[in-house]
Amino acid sequence: MAESPARTAFAEEALTHLDTLYRGALRLTRDPDSAQDLVQEAYLRALRYQHSYQQGTNMKAWLFAIMRNLFWDRFKGSRKDDVSLDDVGEFVLYDKLKDEGARPEADVLDKLAASEVVAAVEKLPPLHREVVLLVDVEGFSYKDAAETLGVPIGTVMSRLHRARQQLQKSLYDYAVESGIVRGNGAPEEPKE
Amino acid sequence: MNCKDCSNKLDSYLDRELSNTEMLELQLHLEGCPDCADSYEFQASVKRLVKVCCEQDKAPDAFREKLRQILT
Ligand SMILES: [Zn+2]
Repeated sequence: MAESPARTAFAEEALTHLDTLYRGALRLTRDPDSAQDLVQEAYLRALRYQHSYQQGTNMKAWLFAIMRNLFWDRFKGSRKDDVSLDDVGEFVLYDKLKDEGARPEADVLDKLAASEVVAAVEKLPPLHREVVLLVDVEGFSYKDAAETLGVPIGTVMSRLHRARQQLQKSLYDYAVESGIVRGNGAPEEPKE
Repeated sequence: MNCKDCSNKLDSYLDRELSNTEMLELQLHLEGCPDCADSYEFQASVKRLVKVCCEQDKAPDAFREKLRQILT
């Protein structure tokens, strides 16, 4: 089937954002096959609604919005149960490590496995997870993240703040479980 | 600016979302306050760590090719 040059050019441009969309979908669905399905459907929909994309605006954000809306459409059955965030209070990992005498605090971060960091991101409820993906992983501004998610900037900021605390709590729990820090926070192997 | 103001604005500073004036105020505070500066460095390290770890995932080549076939 011969496609029009305009459609092909649009598709090529859209495909330059594939890694961002795939990563986002993978983190949201937590499953490579589901992620591919979701991304493929998002691209098909994007081409169908090509006319609604305004040239010169942020195509990455536009595509991500299509993808995450599809995700929420599919998963809305579980939406209610899935959005709550454990109340970790004001958990600040840095303060925790400092109080417990693990110094320098950043050494703990160097010992965390990448897979554990990803697991901590995936443990966040999706509404909080997607803010971290946009702002921390993909480098979106608060404004672009707000438009992508269809929420006010203040909501992006509060979700991000809570998500970071929850994430740091998960990293801390992992560090304790794996012996990187003792339960009381002291490093397992004191550095000389 | 005191430590509490600094802590409240740390997320926005980290994400480069403050106005130039606010950025400068916060920067000045960090230069004079080792506690806040340490805390900032740590938060920045966590942010970098999340980015680096999550960015390792790329769309598989076969999937990219399949999409290109479908879309173009
Ligand atoms: Zn201070």
